[in-house]
Amino acid sequence: MPEPKVTDVGSPAGASAVRYENATKRYGGSAEAAVDHLNLEVEAGEVCVLVGPSGCGKTTAMRLVNRTVELSEGDVLIGGESVRERDPARLRREIGYVIQQVGLFPHRTIAENIATVPQLLGWKKDRIRARTVELLELIGLDPELGERYPAQLSGGQQQRAGVARALAADPLVMLMDEPFGAIDPIARERLQNEFLRLQAEIRKTVLFVTHDIDEAIKMGDRIAVMRQGGRVAQYATPAELLMAPADDFVEDFVGADRALKRLALMRVSDIDLWEAPLAHVGQATAEVRAKLRDAEVPYPLLVDSERRPRGWLSERDLAAETVPARPDSPLGPLLDLDDVMRDALADLLQGEAQYAAVADARGRIAGVLSVEIISEFLSSPKARTEEHGAVERPHD
Amino acid sequence: MIGVLLPHPVLASVEGAIEFIFTPQSSNVTGGKTVGGLDQVIELTLTQLELTVLALALSLIVALPIGLYLGHRGTGELLAISIGNLGRAIPELALIAFMAALIGVGILNLTIALAVLGVPPILANAFVGIHQVDRATVDAARGIGMTELEILRKVEIPLAIPTLFAGIRGATIAIVATATIAPLAGVLTLGDFIINGNVYGDDGVLAGAIVVALLALVLEFSLAGLQRLLTARGLKVSSA
Amino acid sequence: MTSPALLAAVGEVGKGFIQERSSETLPCQATDKLFCFDWAKENIGRYETPSVQHVELVLISVLLGFAIAFALALLAHRHRWLQPPLLAGTGVLYTIPSLAFFFLLLPITGRGRDTAIIALSAYTLQIIYRNTIVGLANVPSSVKDAARGMGLTERQILWKVELPLAAPEIFAGLQIATVSTVAIATLAVFAGGGGLGTPIKAGIDFKTNIIIAGGIAILLAAALGMLLFGIQRLLTPWRRAAAA
Repeated sequence: MPEPKVTDVGSPAGASAVRYENATKRYGGSAEAAVDHLNLEVEAGEVCVLVGPSGCGKTTAMRLVNRTVELSEGDVLIGGESVRERDPARLRREIGYVIQQVGLFPHRTIAENIATVPQLLGWKKDRIRARTVELLELIGLDPELGERYPAQLSGGQQQRAGVARALAADPLVMLMDEPFGAIDPIARERLQNEFLRLQAEIRKTVLFVTHDIDEAIKMGDRIAVMRQGGRVAQYATPAELLMAPADDFVEDFVGADRALKRLALMRVSDIDLWEAPLAHVGQATAEVRAKLRDAEVPYPLLVDSERRPRGWLSERDLAAETVPARPDSPLGPLLDLDDVMRDALADLLQGEAQYAAVADARGRIAGVLSVEIISEFLSSPKARTEEHGAVERPHD
Repeated sequence: MIGVLLPHPVLASVEGAIEFIFTPQSSNVTGGKTVGGLDQVIELTLTQLELTVLALALSLIVALPIGLYLGHRGTGELLAISIGNLGRAIPELALIAFMAALIGVGILNLTIALAVLGVPPILANAFVGIHQVDRATVDAARGIGMTELEILRKVEIPLAIPTLFAGIRGATIAIVATATIAPLAGVLTLGDFIINGNVYGDDGVLAGAIVVALLALVLEFSLAGLQRLLTARGLKVSSA
Repeated sequence: MTSPALLAAVGEVGKGFIQERSSETLPCQATDKLFCFDWAKENIGRYETPSVQHVELVLISVLLGFAIAFALALLAHRHRWLQPPLLAGTGVLYTIPSLAFFFLLLPITGRGRDTAIIALSAYTLQIIYRNTIVGLANVPSSVKDAARGMGLTERQILWKVELPLAAPEIFAGLQIATVSTVAIATLAVFAGGGGLGTPIKAGIDFKTNIIIAGGIAILLAAALGMLLFGIQRLLTPWRRAAAA
């Protein structure tokens, strides 16, 4: 993906903090409040995920921010200003809004959809056009798709368009209600990754609603686990949540596989990799055998002149005088330093390999990963420190 | 009370018309002939009713099987829709006149003419109603082991009742309206009061209009009631 | 074949028509031919005025009916409790045969074009009203949710989102109403409203005449129907794109 460039076209501060103060929503005739005296603070530039079982009030709570649901009691403050004091329509034009079914206007082109809020705000035509092009690039859509109608786009493309539309007027806050829920898992993962990359660049304040705890852990800087009535059982970073669930409800919700879930928070680069002895084509096998003696990994790795891994060498390969061009064993799974640890483990297990070569961004060998390394790391005291768990999400 | 709402001459006219319906009368207007009265009104009403029912029956016999069949198979959409559109464009006056000139006068001949008006809405709506039944439901029925006819009878038709009846009611309205001008082709229906105003007088004209309107409304309500009877309970609940 | 009563039933307007015809030598009328091309060629000009009257009747009635029905539908879209009574009300107007309707209006509005127009408009109300309501109801709620959440006012949502998306349905109703009105307007002659019913009624047993007048009516209906269809396609480019 090309390096995203963002011109700050909107307000001076790119994002605002959101604070719920005893926010309550009661639907007429119901004794139970849908959202009961919610107190929550989302810092500017942070992704706060509201997660919980169906009907717990997370969506209602999100909608209190842009007044698509009106407060019964209490208040919601954006950047210190109460939402109650704003005209709802004007307020919403400053807040990005993404819903699960996207809701793109079928009768307008993608470009026209994206231009909706800027037009409402009275932007000049050139500015709108420039912004639209910029956003399409940012969101990973071919600019020519701007002229198409929503019905002509795939589900994933429609979702991207929906996010672009929400970002168009450079809002202070983004509300996202299960935005990736209606897409197939493969496209969903891709979209999640791209959104994270985007967020690292533009740093909006995001309120993200999901019922999927794995998505919450992946996307959130902080997560609010809610129970019935919008009551927050725990509001913490993903690592805290996984390592120290506040009560049984949270623990059940997070799931029994907490340890494995932590792997989703790490990258391969976070761990100390082993080194394999490297061999080049035509090298004397005697040299290679010498390296093997003290190596961490008992198999030599064939690399090319650029130090890119090509395959593993077997005993038979080493029987010759010089290292052959084509190794006996295939390379097997090739991992990337940037890979999420959980995915790396999955690849290892699937490839039925004991060791997997890890390459850097340019394809050059960086080390070797094995299941042993991972499990050692998980049980080490180093893994338990909060600092290591709260990993910053790296970008390209 | 009504006198307050309507200007007085209108009220007088309505009064006169109602009198016309119930008591035979004669006057200078009618040239001394005795016209009106319940017997005559009932006679013409029955003739119109007979014509309507016959034409509707004929339309149903012709259009329903074809429409249901095509809709079930999902073919002939263009044909069905086109016929539906064409039917709407037929000018009633021309139809009556032309058919009378072509095949002669008399109730049976006129029935055929009116059926020409009744077939298009029934055919088109039967097609659309059946065709629009959720494919998944039909697949499920087929999967259970229903024969095609059973699917039509037990699944598609019940689900298509609203659309079907919309077509039947449309056909009825068109037929009743055209049966009104049947006197032009020699069959005396309530339209005679209206068309031959010089024979029956103004009271007669208004009386005719009122009775025709009532007849149409009664038929419409009857069909609506029949539809409600035939609509499965599950559907009724959802369309609340 | 024709009864004396039939000829006696011809009104004043038609009398002149018939007198004129009988003064010329018309072998065509005497024979029972289906269609006399010669007569048609000679006399096609007679149909000009009725045709123009007919077009006027239809256009005015449909536009009036559309204006009223559309306004009612917008009202009922906002205030849902209005929907059942309006549907029933327009339904009654639709059920009453136009001929009867002309004469029910007679005491109030008298003979003439106005009566015909009122009755014809009343007939179009239900289909236009119902199609507009249904069209608006069929707008996906997610689209409305997104529009509201983005900051469009209720008015903006109605005019920029809901109505454009309901346009196909509304136009379908307009199309049906127009075609039906062309057909029914042949009866306007009974109310003294002119139109193509005039020549038909006057020469009711003359096949060529019926074919010409009826044919013009059908062609008119087809033309207007296609025109509306064309306008609808022009106004809804996104539907074409989706089908592609």
